[in-house]
Amino acid sequence: MITKIKILGILIGIFASHQLLEAKQIGSETQLDWFVQAERFLRMDDPSIQRVIVGCLIMGVSCGLIGSYVVTRRLSLFGDTLSHAILPGIAVGFIWSGTKDNYSIFVGAMIAGFLGVSCLSVLKKFTKINGDSSLGIVLSAFYAFGICLLTRIQKVGYSDQAGLDSFMFGQISSFSTQDLCGQFFTLLLIGLFIFFNYRQLLVSGFDFQFSRSIGIPSELLQYGLWILISFCVISSLQMVGVILVSAMLVIPAATASLISKRMNTYLTLASILGAIAGFVGAFLSFLGKNLPTGPLIVLVAGSFFALVLFLQPQKGILFQWLRLRSENSRIAIENTLKAAFQILESRDFQETEISSQEMMRKRGLSSAEVQRETLNLINAGLATKSTLFTEDTQLLPQTNLTLTPKGWEYSCKIVRNHRLWELYLTNEAEYEPDHVHEDAEKIEHVIGEKTVRKLEKLLKNPRTDPHGKLIPSMTDIQQGHFSLKS
Amino acid sequence: MRDYSLPIEIHDLTVSYQKRPVLYGVDLEIEEGSLVGVLGPNGAGKSTLIKTVMNMIKPNGGYVKIFGKSPKEGIKRIGYIPQRESIDWDFPVTVFDVVLMGRYGHHRWLGRIGKEDRRKANECLEQVSMLPYADRPIGNLSGGQQQRVFLARALAQESAVYLMDEPFAGVDAVTEKAIVSILQGMKNQGKTLVVVHHDLSSAKEYFDQLLLLNMRKVAFGPIAEVYTHELLQKTYGGKLTVLSEMATETARNSHA
Amino acid sequence: MHFIPSFDFERIFLQPWSGSELVAWNGQVILMGLLVCWASGIIGTFIVVRRMALMGDAISHGILPGLVIAYLLWGSLEIGPMLIGACTAGMACSFCIEWLNQNSSLKKDASMAIVFTTFFALGVTLINLQTGHLDIDTECILYGEIGLTPLAPKLIFMGIELGNRSLWTIGVIFILIVLTICVFYRQLLLTSFDAILAQSFGWPVKGIHFALMLLLALCTVASLEAVGVILVVAMLIFPCVTASFFFKRLPVILLCTFPLGVLYTFGGFHLAHWLDCSIAAAMVIAASSVFLIALIISPQTRIGRFFYRQKTL
Repeated sequence: MITKIKILGILIGIFASHQLLEAKQIGSETQLDWFVQAERFLRMDDPSIQRVIVGCLIMGVSCGLIGSYVVTRRLSLFGDTLSHAILPGIAVGFIWSGTKDNYSIFVGAMIAGFLGVSCLSVLKKFTKINGDSSLGIVLSAFYAFGICLLTRIQKVGYSDQAGLDSFMFGQISSFSTQDLCGQFFTLLLIGLFIFFNYRQLLVSGFDFQFSRSIGIPSELLQYGLWILISFCVISSLQMVGVILVSAMLVIPAATASLISKRMNTYLTLASILGAIAGFVGAFLSFLGKNLPTGPLIVLVAGSFFALVLFLQPQKGILFQWLRLRSENSRIAIENTLKAAFQILESRDFQETEISSQEMMRKRGLSSAEVQRETLNLINAGLATKSTLFTEDTQLLPQTNLTLTPKGWEYSCKIVRNHRLWELYLTNEAEYEPDHVHEDAEKIEHVIGEKTVRKLEKLLKNPRTDPHGKLIPSMTDIQQGHFSLKS
Repeated sequence: MRDYSLPIEIHDLTVSYQKRPVLYGVDLEIEEGSLVGVLGPNGAGKSTLIKTVMNMIKPNGGYVKIFGKSPKEGIKRIGYIPQRESIDWDFPVTVFDVVLMGRYGHHRWLGRIGKEDRRKANECLEQVSMLPYADRPIGNLSGGQQQRVFLARALAQESAVYLMDEPFAGVDAVTEKAIVSILQGMKNQGKTLVVVHHDLSSAKEYFDQLLLLNMRKVAFGPIAEVYTHELLQKTYGGKLTVLSEMATETARNSHA
Repeated sequence: MHFIPSFDFERIFLQPWSGSELVAWNGQVILMGLLVCWASGIIGTFIVVRRMALMGDAISHGILPGLVIAYLLWGSLEIGPMLIGACTAGMACSFCIEWLNQNSSLKKDASMAIVFTTFFALGVTLINLQTGHLDIDTECILYGEIGLTPLAPKLIFMGIELGNRSLWTIGVIFILIVLTICVFYRQLLLTSFDAILAQSFGWPVKGIHFALMLLLALCTVASLEAVGVILVVAMLIFPCVTASFFFKRLPVILLCTFPLGVLYTFGGFHLAHWLDCSIAAAMVIAASSVFLIALIISPQTRIGRFFYRQKTL
């Protein structure tokens, strides 16, 4: 776990510094400009910049925390619907107060959110409309109403309407102390809610019915979550905007879910990722001459997600792909070794050299494929090669391979596992003995030492398999293959 | 060697899900005109077997042949009745529409659905005693009625082989008797029927042959031979759980 | 408060049709609205019965970066590259969602939310980096400007000037959609209802799904100028769910799109004239009102049953 955080930290560090470097390198005359801007931002002298930095950190943490519950309870699209549905509330709040007064906008948004959720419940209770479709209905209907009001406001020409545009995609330049207070208040509420209800949330999220049956007020908790989602959405509006705020709820939490499944690490990671995305996004928008912050923050969060998805050690897609390749090559090597053992066995272990012709026949492969396999064995130190040149120019030079002691040990192990497993299946599981498993993708290639011990004990250390073939024991392996000569 | 193809031939079938084997080395040969019940505990792989034959799941080893052809080709000759949970009952279609869908496979891509098809659909509805409900939306039906509609659709397909996944689950007694007699009738017409069943006691009456399944084939044959205490014990409990434990452990080891 | 203008019947309903120039202008606007409603309604019905309503939302957001990148590569706002770019982006969006759902531990809803918001964010960022060079502004993306339809450039096809480009685009796509539905009705019906049966007939279920997504992307692009990305979702969903309150057979529901489209367009147009607001938003409000009325008077819903004597089934 710690190593994973370290690696993630290093990756983030690289990413962040790369961004800074890039910011420095682009353009020649603007180079000084960007660098100056970056410095200004990072030095945090300006109180407005201080506000912005604190604001985006807080927003990131709130979204990450509440987002964890959104993702685990499959409310991602609900979050999206809610964020669109509050638009009319904002417009009405604005009209009511005549200014971009946060308080009335907040109240308006809350009421709109509440109405939206009520509509969803009504649709669910009274109609047979599918969940997805009801979300779409509420989303677009409320949003349309909001747009109608907004375009009306534009026509009527209220004085402070420029501020409204920032609600669409976020704009840090219009970030005020009031916004900061709102965000802080939201974070406090969210933190307290989670702190006091941690266990109950865990149980009700996992199994709603069960939690109700043991007396947890799951319905109330659900409503509480919805209210907090609304709070979070509204307080993040100034930074990310209405359209993309649902992305902030989902993406950091989803990234965290790839890394950890335990709730407390999950919450922590989601908050950290959210905070960093917010910070870097705000920083980038500051550099780019006041580009809207929302899309940039979302893009940063999205890149983190992609990074983790692909490059996460062990679980990342890239690593899975590499592991699959190495596993396939391991299986190929083991098949060759098994074939080698069987060839030697058929000759009663008299000679130690195996010609490529014999291998081709045994494995049913072409000459080129056998050459490749031989090379793999040699590279792994499991065999050595000797080439025999014949005088007859018709015949191709033969390649003979000899197993090294390491190769011998490995091949014995493979054969032993295979034959023990077959014996087990035949005796204990009444398997048909004529199912010959030459195919390497079967279970026997992944049996570990512990399981082999168990099998040997279970079958009482047998010496022969169902076909009467020898099952090599540990002593045979140690003494080398000459000991098996009869 | 045989000079005719079996309706269903399965050899050494191995299917795993997330590195854990669900079916391991299953061999099966089903003759034409059989009425086979498939029994086994939960998670034994019964539905998986049906779905693999229907080419919905790719096996990790072994093969399935339907009348000698690969599943992709062969499923055109199979009528499949899935579990009821997998259907969207709010879809805006009537009972007749659903049964008519069974006839779609008989025509080319853009061929017309004609009077003959409609006649056949009505005939099949009559067979399952659902003709009065032909114009009813499918959402307004009871469990037993829903099952009958899907049976009618399968009949309309006029397939040679029928695979059914728990057709008697959640169905009233009257419908159950009705379906059983229809199945018997189909068998007498020479159809091959393979039915996943959940109830041990009724299995004895309903089917001619039984397949006992628990990750691998425990037994297959006529009721008299297979429906024994010893074999049922083997299927539903006992030694075979060791095999699944070991398999799970090896799957876990391979992750390390 | 001057917020809600006075309700003057003559001004709202008669004035737009009073002079020949006005009729020509508003006629084009109405035609655009009708075609958008009809095309989206038909495709949307299949989207809704396949339980993919929000996929429509996702794709309509996802096409945005495609539009901008097409502009960047082609250097102009020609309709051909726009369509290609948007469809590619829409397909990519749909593909990424499926891929993410299958190859990670994320569920469908989270995959959708991540992919389409990221795509959309990318599109908006690219637009903003190009301000001054690009004729698409973010407001147009969000709710379109159907009232400016007559101002669209003329379409020139093989040297012949055909007329209003936007109308031609949506018109062709509408006809394409209607033809596809008529010819392939059986295929669409079966793959929507029971894909397994369709597969057992040997039908290309995935291909049909892909074709449907392609039509959806085309429809969204063509409607973009008129109603924007978010309101097109309404046009996809509302006709089907409204009609479902009264009719229970798919062909009838599809046919209902036409009268509903007329209601939405004319209702929205005159509502916008009254309130002097965005026409697209007014159209959606009209659609919601029709939906609400249908909800209340329908015999299918529990509210509706208060108004009807209960008939035994």
